[in-house]
Amino acid sequence: MKTSHAHALQLFARQLRWLLTLRLAVQWTTVWFFCWGVIVLALRIWGTSGTFWLAFGLLGILPLTAVAALRARQSQPKFDRLRADYDRLNACGGVLMAEETADMDAWTAQLPAASVPKFHWRSGRPIFLLLVATGFVAVALLLPERLTRLAAHRSLEIGPVVEQLQAEVKTLAQEKLVPDKQADELQKQLAQLQKDSSSYDPAKTWEALDHIKQADSDVAKQAAEEALRKMESLAQAETLAQAMQSAADKGMNAETASQAAQDLATLLNAAKLETGIMDNKIPPELLAGLSGLNPEQMKKLAAALAANKNSLSALAGKLANLKLIDAATLAKLAAAGQGGNPAALADYLAQCKGGGDDEIFSWLAKAGKGGPGGGGPEGNMMWDNDTSEKDLKFKEHALPPSAHLSDAQMVGVSKAAPELAANDLQEQHGALDNTAASGGSAHAQVILPEQRQAVQAFFKRDGK
Amino acid sequence: MSDQILKPEELAPAAELARKTLEQLDRILLGRKELHRLVLIGILSRGHVLLEGLPGLGKTALVKTIGQILKLDFKRVQFTPDLMPGDVLGSHILQETSSGKRELVFQPGPVFTNILLADEINRASPKTQSAMLETMQENSVTLLGTTRPLPQPFFVLASQNPIELEGTYPLPEAQLDRFLFRLLFEQVDAEVLDQIISERRRGELPAPTWQMEPAQLQSLFAIIGKIYLPRPVSRYIARLVSATHPGGAEATGPVNQYVSYGASPRAAIAIAEAARAHAFLAGRPSVGFEDVKAVTPPVLNHRLILNYQARFDRMTPSKLIGELLGQLDETGLNLPKDVAAAV
Repeated sequence: MKTSHAHALQLFARQLRWLLTLRLAVQWTTVWFFCWGVIVLALRIWGTSGTFWLAFGLLGILPLTAVAALRARQSQPKFDRLRADYDRLNACGGVLMAEETADMDAWTAQLPAASVPKFHWRSGRPIFLLLVATGFVAVALLLPERLTRLAAHRSLEIGPVVEQLQAEVKTLAQEKLVPDKQADELQKQLAQLQKDSSSYDPAKTWEALDHIKQADSDVAKQAAEEALRKMESLAQAETLAQAMQSAADKGMNAETASQAAQDLATLLNAAKLETGIMDNKIPPELLAGLSGLNPEQMKKLAAALAANKNSLSALAGKLANLKLIDAATLAKLAAAGQGGNPAALADYLAQCKGGGDDEIFSWLAKAGKGGPGGGGPEGNMMWDNDTSEKDLKFKEHALPPSAHLSDAQMVGVSKAAPELAANDLQEQHGALDNTAASGGSAHAQVILPEQRQAVQAFFKRDGK
Repeated sequence: MSDQILKPEELAPAAELARKTLEQLDRILLGRKELHRLVLIGILSRGHVLLEGLPGLGKTALVKTIGQILKLDFKRVQFTPDLMPGDVLGSHILQETSSGKRELVFQPGPVFTNILLADEINRASPKTQSAMLETMQENSVTLLGTTRPLPQPFFVLASQNPIELEGTYPLPEAQLDRFLFRLLFEQVDAEVLDQIISERRRGELPAPTWQMEPAQLQSLFAIIGKIYLPRPVSRYIARLVSATHPGGAEATGPVNQYVSYGASPRAAIAIAEAARAHAFLAGRPSVGFEDVKAVTPPVLNHRLILNYQARFDRMTPSKLIGELLGQLDETGLNLPKDVAAAV
């Protein structure tokens, strides 16, 4: 081989090796930089302190380049192919390739001057990606610590919810609806939740908050139900106490007074006012001497009952303000606290000659619900004397015949397809009815099923 | 091996003979230098050439002139639908001998020549066209069990025109494959026409001023036989032909889309032989990639069988071959796609 061509060929091969090495090194470095940047960001976000040593990841370029050089050497084309390409690029017409089997010195003098071909690498995209990766690593390394901390401890915005729950727990504790110890525990849980809440796992936080909210609601509902029961009893007892006071003035006999006093005691005992949510207790001396209360003591008892009703109403109001009970429940409580008609009951007691317990309780239960003026007890439901069925059924009569189609008036045109009844289909003609014996009607023939395959095969195009 | 590589002093005289032949052709027939070069390559490759072009473009004149320059026996057969195989190959006739006996004597047909011009070959019936198969491939004629060799060298230069296709019989693929080249006659430009009109009264061609002796032609064949085909180039030819087959490892998208059947191994041989002749005309002792690229289009353009979709999309074999030559990496370096080499 002509010396210049041999030298040029060596340069050509070396140039290719360098280019392949550079290309691989750039690609692998880009990938390494992205991975390195992700590792740096992750470590910094997780709170690794002293991140200076992360910069040593830059040294990863050295082994990558070495491996790239080794890989490029392994993947370099064989020498005969390089020589063939050199022969082609220099327009040597196969003379250099022929050197694989023969001495071509006689011909090399006629070859064109040696010129080392240049390799062109479209490096725009790889270099751009490398720059992006480098920028990513730089940002990951130089990002201020406060930003990484921000990303690490991003808490949920649950302050208002926690405040609401804390107020609920505080109210329930004040009203003795939950024990103080349990209330303290709940307050601690809420504070811990607010501190530990994380945007990376919001479901866990929301689930805990929902649990506390549900517990508060359950306690409030139980208290409301209890308050409703006691409010009814208090209202009845208050009505009876007031009626007894008035009836005494109207000359209620002793037997009736004694019976009413026993009924009042029965009502108050059944209400179990001394337990549960009652704040203002009934003075025990009044409860003990219910059968022989003088007017002054009866007045005190009525006042105590009224105070207890007010206390229950206030409790219900607080629960409603915290939305632990709904408006309907609050309305029920208010309705239960409405006393009956003590004046009517007093009249009844004054006229009563030794009435039984059942009559007084029945009267109390229905008092004030009988219409204008208080009224008396409501009438019982009767199930005899069936209602007349007169005029309940329509009389059957035939409609007049419809008008003829010629008398019809067009009210509009629809674009929708007409709907055919099954009978209409039977009136269609056969496929061959319109064909004639001759005259070019063949083109209108319908393709019968047994002919379809042959027609498809005729028009079938080659798939290639 | 070194003694098989031609030396410059061996190649130069032969290349000079080829150069003179081309010079004569270019002098007698105006305006088709590249075509003349390809026809000469076909002859030096000992291949048959199919000339395709409109009437009056000089197909017959080219064949006649070659016969004159090469001093070869030349016969012309006008192919027609009623032409019978015997009219081409020859037939046995009954003759009376001097002793009064009668015997069948073989009367050679026009095929017994060096250069046979099969004019408008696609007008003959398939039976007559098939009679040419043995002559083109085996260079012999077999009749009544007797095989008779044809004079050497033997070339068929056939012509057909792409219009007036009614009443013609398109050549079967088997016969098309036996033609080394299919060369298209294009219209010459106005300048050449002006030269023809002014210098050629009634279109008469001038006589050649130099003729090649048969022995010289044989020496050219011997020299071309010594042109070296390097392994990378032969590998390229093999990959090129293989890539014409749809579904092949290196088949391009258009090949997969438009080609039904690719080129045969005979095509690979034809490319190699024609590339040798091309390198010889260039005065080189070995074949380069540029030689292969130069001869591939006329070798392959009648060997690719395209599908109907190619007809719909107006895709031609020439376009496909050009696209294939542009995409296939000659040396198989398999460089990354974003890396390219250039001088």
